Amino acid sequence: MNIKETLFKLSNAVSIGNITDASVIAADKLSKYAKTTQDGITVVGEMQGEGKYTLMLEAHIDEVGFVVTDIDDKGFLTVKNCGGIDLRSLPARAVTVHGKEKVTGVFCATPPHLGGVTEYDDISALKIDTLLGEKAKEVISVGDFVTFNTKAADLCGSRITGKSLDNRAGVVCLLELAKRLSGKKLPFNIVFAFTDQEELGCRGAGTAAFCVSPDEAIVLDVSFADAPDVPSNDCGKLSGGAMIGMSPILDKAISKKLVSIAKENNMPYQTEVMGGRTGTNGDVISISKSGVKTGLVSIPLRNMHSDVEIIDINDIENVCDLLQKYILGGNA
Amino acid sequence: MIELLKQLCILDGTSGDEGAVREFVISQIKDHCEYKIDNLGNIIAFKKGKKEPSKKVLIDAHLDEVGLIITHIEESGFLRFKTVGGIDTAALMFRRVLVNGKTLGVIGGKPVHLCEGDERKKLPDADNLYIDIGVSSADEAKALVSVGDCAVMCSDFISCGDKVLTKALDDRVGCLVLIDLLKQDAEYDFYASFSTQEEVGLRGAKVAAFAVEPDAAIVIDGTTAADVAGVAAAKQVCRQGEGAVVSFMDGATSYDREYYNAALNSGIKAQSKCAVAGGNNAGVIHLSRGGVRTVALSVPCRYIHTANSVCDMRDVIAVRDLSKHMIEQIASGKL
Repeated sequence: MNIKETLFKLSNAVSIGNITDASVIAADKLSKYAKTTQDGITVVGEMQGEGKYTLMLEAHIDEVGFVVTDIDDKGFLTVKNCGGIDLRSLPARAVTVHGKEKVTGVFCATPPHLGGVTEYDDISALKIDTLLGEKAKEVISVGDFVTFNTKAADLCGSRITGKSLDNRAGVVCLLELAKRLSGKKLPFNIVFAFTDQEELGCRGAGTAAFCVSPDEAIVLDVSFADAPDVPSNDCGKLSGGAMIGMSPILDKAISKKLVSIAKENNMPYQTEVMGGRTGTNGDVISISKSGVKTGLVSIPLRNMHSDVEIIDINDIENVCDLLQKYILGGNA
Repeated sequence: MIELLKQLCILDGTSGDEGAVREFVISQIKDHCEYKIDNLGNIIAFKKGKKEPSKKVLIDAHLDEVGLIITHIEESGFLRFKTVGGIDTAALMFRRVLVNGKTLGVIGGKPVHLCEGDERKKLPDADNLYIDIGVSSADEAKALVSVGDCAVMCSDFISCGDKVLTKALDDRVGCLVLIDLLKQDAEYDFYASFSTQEEVGLRGAKVAAFAVEPDAAIVIDGTTAADVAGVAAAKQVCRQGEGAVVSFMDGATSYDREYYNAALNSGIKAQSKCAVAGGNNAGVIHLSRGGVRTVALSVPCRYIHTANSVCDMRDVIAVRDLSKHMIEQIASGKL
């Protein structure tokens, strides 16, 4: 499996609501290495190890987008965002409407002097032009999902840009890890879980953790990378390696172990310290059932929740190396 | 026509950097007319018709489009830029751009999660935006990009029924109309200018009009159509599918009323531009030398000056047909 090639496929595909294309791709890859089941967007793969102890490795596979709430007679849509999206960046942005067929639409951009939006606080004021006119209602229904449609592309060096790298970067990292663990003698059971509805409030990870019932979990997600307008104390460095999470809600021993493995093996890493909840699925997995010891590793990412997210492929490799050592220890 | 429009729109031609568009236009017209390139990069073409005109007619469209110009390369490798022509900041946020025709970048920003209160509602100052090409240092950036390089917003070309969604419809629709007219046999001689630097102050057309010294001018451009949900009928300016847009007055020109009436009542589908706003090359052409009688025929374009503007091909064809009609009416002396 080539990490970049797979990530491009996953980034270009869609998993939101009733659309499961990215999950189908991930399930297909994962099934080569693990006993895999797919239920809608959620994909779970089990690898048998020694004993009864189970480690769940989790990454959400859903993406931010929109859902159609109204269609007018001239083919303009009103939508509600699913996940946090910067409304200011929407005017004149092309999107895909997942109706009976895929429709390219564009958010209206009306200049302020003609009554366009000046305060971006209400998404219902930002209509989508479907170019279909009165025919829109034949193809599109209320409840249909709308997604960004940018195709992944290379930037300089090992950095790439695209939509949904949050959190397909995490998914591809775990797919690579599954490949590396495949055929190895595992010290415990491993369950890979690609979960749904993280962007709506960490919902899918709660139910997945309930079903898997792990003893321990490591959550893999993306986090803020450095950029000119991001305060340096709020972010990691792009290309700086795994961001190891530290927080009152995370298991301190896991965080420490991850740091010591990175140090011992001269792996690039950085710490991400939070004062409480992490804003990731770690928040719900850790309090599933009678509690799950949970760690968090993040891949640095710029422009989160836009369709020009940026990550460095080397960071994904580094995170994979770290998790491989964490699981296999000296046998990695 | 739609295939030719696609070829025109995908070319990058920020004001002052129109070379690629100019070369393409020349490749299209060279076998159909005489032409020359002037000091500002305008193409000035002369089409020989079947008859001598009683008035010298100039028809104009501009080659350039709005874009960005790189002004500074930071130590960290981020590029700072200025807009070339008017671009709403909302249309710049989190967009993919192509710098100097070959280096892909994105305009980055603060993730919405980290924006608080008014910061989420108000557009940032455009001067605070930056382009990220994926490098980590100024040295890496300078190997790929130089200060003064132009950048354009990336877009696709998508057609859906009669509608087209792409960048630079303003004013490649005009270039398309002029190319089409030059390729046809003409009743009367006329001049055509494919002018530069419209978006930075109507500069190319000023010198082109001086050189051609026309009696009458027809300016072909894209104009804002705000016929979208949420905009009151009185503010929609013009509507797609309703034909060529004829202006009585805009921000730069009070138009010749006889030409305006003739264009509206030719029998070819046309509508008035119902706003006194914006401006186009008519602003300088009608004031050229001792004054030039001028009519503006526009294609109604939604989301103009963005990477995803929309036009309706039926309107483009109406503008083409009405342009031809007006050339003949004026050149024959009927107007």
